Amino acid sequence: MSVQKEDSNNRLNTGGISTEQQLLHLFQIHDSAFPIGSYTQSFGMETYIQQNLITTKQELVDYCKSYLFYNLACGDAILVKESHQAAENKDYDKLVYLEQICNGMKLARELRSGSIKMGKQFLQTVLPLGESELMKEWKSRFDDKEIKGHYAVLYGIYTASHGIDKEKTVSRFLYASINGLIQNAVRAVPLGQNSGVQALYELLSLIEEAGNCVMNYTLDDLYNNALGIEMASMKHEYLFSRLFIS
Amino acid sequence: MLEFQKKNGLTCLTDCFQQSPLKASRALYLDDKEKATVYLMESSGGLVAGDRNEYKVHLKKQANVCLLQQSATKVYPSLNELSSAQHVSVQLDGGARLEWMPEAIIPFKDAKFNGDTMIRMKRDSTLLWGEIISPGREKRNECFYYDEFRSSFQIWVEEECLAYDTLHLSPTRMPLQQIGLLEKSLYIGSLWFVSPEVQSISIRDLHDKFKISKDINASVTGLEGKGLHFRWLATDLWALKKEMNKIWNQLT
Repeated sequence: MSVQKEDSNNRLNTGGISTEQQLLHLFQIHDSAFPIGSYTQSFGMETYIQQNLITTKQELVDYCKSYLFYNLACGDAILVKESHQAAENKDYDKLVYLEQICNGMKLARELRSGSIKMGKQFLQTVLPLGESELMKEWKSRFDDKEIKGHYAVLYGIYTASHGIDKEKTVSRFLYASINGLIQNAVRAVPLGQNSGVQALYELLSLIEEAGNCVMNYTLDDLYNNALGIEMASMKHEYLFSRLFIS
Repeated sequence: MLEFQKKNGLTCLTDCFQQSPLKASRALYLDDKEKATVYLMESSGGLVAGDRNEYKVHLKKQANVCLLQQSATKVYPSLNELSSAQHVSVQLDGGARLEWMPEAIIPFKDAKFNGDTMIRMKRDSTLLWGEIISPGREKRNECFYYDEFRSSFQIWVEEECLAYDTLHLSPTRMPLQQIGLLEKSLYIGSLWFVSPEVQSISIRDLHDKFKISKDINASVTGLEGKGLHFRWLATDLWALKKEMNKIWNQLT
C-alpha cells in the first residue's frame, strides 16, 4: 500500500500536462494492453457467432453498425458525455443519477456485471497513476458501496479530471468499443486479421458520424433500440460453451 | 387515479378519480378473495393525435390488486404532427402486490406515440407487469407504417434503478430489420417480476420452459436478485400471448 502511495505522489497527476500528453494518455487508456478486460467481453455478439449469423467481414460490419448506432450511441456513449460534463461541474448528485441509470439500462445480467467489472479494473489501474479530487471522491463512494462503478461513468469522470476534451473522449470511446468487438470477432468467428483491419477501416466514418450524433444527444435520447443484441446478451448466459464472459 | 387500501383482510378501492374516456370498473373479487381486480376501460376507442391518457395508481400497505385493460390501446394517425401520450405512474407501499397485464399497443399508420411508465416500489412489495408492442394492424398489412413510437419504462426499488427500459422506434428513419435490431420480429413482449419471491425462483428452470420456434424468440435475465426480466421477440401475436400467459401463470 505504501508503494502505491509513493507512486501516486510521483507523477501523472492532472495539473499542468500538455494537450499532447493528455491525448497520449487517452491513447494509453484505450490500448489493448490496458488491463480492463475488454477482450473478455463480446456484449452479446458471441450468441450471434454461435448461431452462424456473423461469418463474413460484411456481416461483422453490419453487426457493428447496429451496435454502434442503436446500442453505444444511444446508450453508454451518452452516459460518457454526460458524466464528463457533470464531473467538470463537480455535480456529484448528477453523477450518482447517471450511475443508477447506467445500471438500470443494462437489463441483461452479464452486460450489467461486465460493465461493473470493467469499471473496477479501470479504477484499480488508474488509481496508482495519481488521484484527482474527483476520482478520490468517486473511489470513496465506491468503497462505501454507494455506487457500483460502471465503466462508462468512471471513464467520463477520469477523462474530465485529466482535462481531456469531451468530444475526443466520446469518439475514442466509440472507436475502442468497436475495435474491441472486431478484435474479438476476429478470434471467435474466426476471420483473418486483414478482414478485421478492413472492417474497422470501413467503420471509421460511421464512428465519426455516431460521435457527432452523441454530442447533440441528451439523456432524453437514451434508448435501448438494439433489441436483438439485448436478446442475444440475455441468451449468452445459457450458451453451452463460451469464449467470452458476456 | 386509483388508490387501494387493505381493510379487514380485503383490498378495497378507496379512492377513484376518473375522467372520460378513461373509466375503471368497481373492484371485483374473483378466485382470490383477497385480491381486488379492476378493469380499465377506454371509451373513446383509441388515442387521437394530441390526446394524453394519464393513470396514477397507489397501492397502500399490503394491498393486492390486479389491473386488466379491457382492450388493445389503439393509436390513431397523427395528422397534426402531435404525439399521443400515455403516462402511468405507480406507487407500491410496503408488502403491496400489483399485477398489470395490458393488451397490446397498436400504432396505426402515421401514428406518433409517447408512453412513459414510472414505478416506485418498496423492497418487500411485488410487481408483475406485462407489455406488448405491436407493429401496427398486421392483418391489414400495416406493419411498421407508424411514424414514431417512444416508450420509457422505469422501475425504482427505493433508491435503486432496477430497470430503465426505453425504446424509440422510427421505421422510416431506422433499419429495424437489420441484424441486432428487430430483425424479422414484429411483436415485442416484455414481462417484469420484481418481488422478494425472486430469491427462491430458479431462472434456469424458467428459461428451459421457453418454447422457441421460428415465430418466437425469448429469454430471461435476473435483475440484482430482486427481479426478473423476460423478453420475447415474435412474428405471431397469438404464439406470443400464449407464451406470456404461460409464464404469467407460473408467477401468480
